Amino acid sequence: MDACTAVGREIDKVLTKFTSYSDHASTTIASLRSNIESLKVEIDQVGSGDITEAQAVILSQALGRVKEAVTRLSTEHRDLHSSVSKVGKAIDKNFTADFGCISNDSVFSGKKHHLINEVICQHFFREGLLDIAEEHIKETNLSLQEESREPFFELNRILAALKERNLAPALQWAEENRDKLISQRSTLEFKLHRLAYINLLSQGPSRVPEAIDYARHNFTPFVFQHEKVIQSLMGCLLYVKGGLINSPYADLLSCDQWTEICDVFTRDACALLGLSVDSSLAVCVNAGCTALPILLNIKQVMQQRQVPNIWNTKEELPIEIDLGPSSRYHSIFACPILRQQSTENNPPMRLICGHVISRDALNKLTTSAKLKCPYCPVEQNPQDAIQISF
Amino acid sequence: MADVTSIEHPTLKVPYDVLNKKFRLAQKTLDREVCHVTTAVSELERVLFTDSRSASHISSLLGGVVEKLANFKRKAEEATQDETECGRVVKRRVDHLKEHDSLSPAVVAEWKRTRLDRLLVEYLLRAGCYSTATKLASARGIEGLTNLDVFLVAREVEQSLACRDTTKCLSWCHDNRSKLRKLNSSLEFNVRMQEFIELIKNDRRMDAIKHARKYFTGQDQSHLPSIQRCMALIAFPAGTDVSPYKELLSDMRWEKLVEQFRAENLKLYQLSSQSAFSVVVQAGLSALKTPHCYRGASGHNPDCPVCQPSLNALAEPLPFAHCSQSRLVCYISGEQLNENNQPLMLPNGHVYGQKALQQMADENNGSIVCPRTRQSFNIRDAEKVFVM
Repeated sequence: MDACTAVGREIDKVLTKFTSYSDHASTTIASLRSNIESLKVEIDQVGSGDITEAQAVILSQALGRVKEAVTRLSTEHRDLHSSVSKVGKAIDKNFTADFGCISNDSVFSGKKHHLINEVICQHFFREGLLDIAEEHIKETNLSLQEESREPFFELNRILAALKERNLAPALQWAEENRDKLISQRSTLEFKLHRLAYINLLSQGPSRVPEAIDYARHNFTPFVFQHEKVIQSLMGCLLYVKGGLINSPYADLLSCDQWTEICDVFTRDACALLGLSVDSSLAVCVNAGCTALPILLNIKQVMQQRQVPNIWNTKEELPIEIDLGPSSRYHSIFACPILRQQSTENNPPMRLICGHVISRDALNKLTTSAKLKCPYCPVEQNPQDAIQISF
Repeated sequence: MADVTSIEHPTLKVPYDVLNKKFRLAQKTLDREVCHVTTAVSELERVLFTDSRSASHISSLLGGVVEKLANFKRKAEEATQDETECGRVVKRRVDHLKEHDSLSPAVVAEWKRTRLDRLLVEYLLRAGCYSTATKLASARGIEGLTNLDVFLVAREVEQSLACRDTTKCLSWCHDNRSKLRKLNSSLEFNVRMQEFIELIKNDRRMDAIKHARKYFTGQDQSHLPSIQRCMALIAFPAGTDVSPYKELLSDMRWEKLVEQFRAENLKLYQLSSQSAFSVVVQAGLSALKTPHCYRGASGHNPDCPVCQPSLNALAEPLPFAHCSQSRLVCYISGEQLNENNQPLMLPNGHVYGQKALQQMADENNGSIVCPRTRQSFNIRDAEKVFVM
């Protein structure tokens, strides 16, 4: 945080100096003015004649003070510049001015331009910023296929309703897609029914019969999967009269239920439609923000050591960037012997002892049709190793 | 933290430049006002030490001094007000950047969302999508955090240039003269040259010569070849087919002027020639890109950004992520494979996580179906795999 704090400190200094300068300037000028005005009143009393020598001296002294004071005010303001420029220096010192050096202009220019616009547009749809997406399409003359926006309209409509605690559109959607949801082991529909039931109960004892009726109609298909939950849901009927909030079932009323249902809905609906849960662009930008400082660093080191051309090979980044477990989407096997990623020509092989090395490593370690596992004492025939895929 | 220092330079530097400019402007105003006051005072002083010290004359002169002082006060207050306002903009942005280190994950998540929006606004502005950018900024309430104003001024100049009007561009050049001179910019010269060409196009050759006399004489030596070529244009008809005069007369030059203006405007504020957005997206795509993303549908993961068709095409020329340590995830559940969720190999060589296989086995009396080959096996046939 040092960088921001350093700049913050400088800008605070500048702001206090501006304020004190401004106060000081107005009081100084005001006092000068009242001084001159009082002299003027005195001289006005003289009438049409000349002023005396003494008055002239007093006047000239006062005028001298005016001159000196205004010049000083201007100098004082000029002196503030050192504080102002310190802010600029602090920014330049603590923040990287040129991050463009690690990227390649041509990647996003030319024909690729519409691709990035497409991505941005999809991001807007995803975030529910429909009017902004339309504006963007208009400004960039993007031709987006109709079906690529359609699912987002519906998702956003249902999500907006859920946020207003309206379950109807989500329930309807879950019913329409029941088979698919079941096949991906989603509990969405049950969770929606459960919320609807709790909703009825929370409106007081008068609606209990309605709630029981609702439970009868809607909970039966879920009994096998959610027996325990249904039992507790029926159990809470005992406390409706005294108010659920003071009962052991109070947690059923918590607001978290609603945030949770929004998350569950987004996750399951995206999975069903084959969409990513988070906006791809957001994931990508966050990954980039993690990667950028590391890349800038290595770039600088490589320049200092005058390593030529590593950047231009364009096959792999020169350094490993760990984005954390949540950003791992594909299995990557790096051979522990050769320290290389596996490829089509050099796939991972499982030895009979269970250890995995790459095929090239296996070939290198084989001597006269015998292979000793590099990790355990087992000796084996290299032919017994099986090619695996993660 | 490192990500803030790497990409947020323009977020702070641009408002700082505005502050610095305001400061210089304020200094100029103050100096001018001081000059007014001292002239009024000197005039009075001269009268004081002559023989005719008529009270009424001196009183009126004193009135003048009072008036000048009042002016001085008003101007000084206005100027410092402006400066403080600009300083506050910097302060607000610093405070916003500080939120990045907040301990509450919700605040950080929101901050990251805002960062994406800020990056997008800046990218859209650079791409010329002004209206989308303005709408996005106001929808998210981040006008104060983006350099919208700088670009909106640029937009006006660009639009006027597109309409063949040079006045706005020239006044912009005038406003930023000292900085442009430092950058060795040829923008003003190019605009003047374009004006000359337009005069030729309209067959006002005498006016063109006058224009050349007025504006070309004071130019730098380096412009001499261009000036000579321009002057030769006088000899050609407006519809000439002779190169390079045909090119000089072409309308493409206006578009070039717009481009040059855009580039100079970015340089003026020390903005990098590429937007932070495209740099960050490139870095992100590279960090996420694996060979699996390019091995056809079987390797695709709908959650992986690089597997999305548009991003996939964009990432094609970029380098892959470097990986010296195996990172395994379960093909079925997407969960990490580690000591808590060990990788198991089916007899056909495909590896899945223990948790996912166990769940499948529990539901189907111990039998499991390989999701890639549709072969079915018994869970007991799955063998452990050790990945170092």
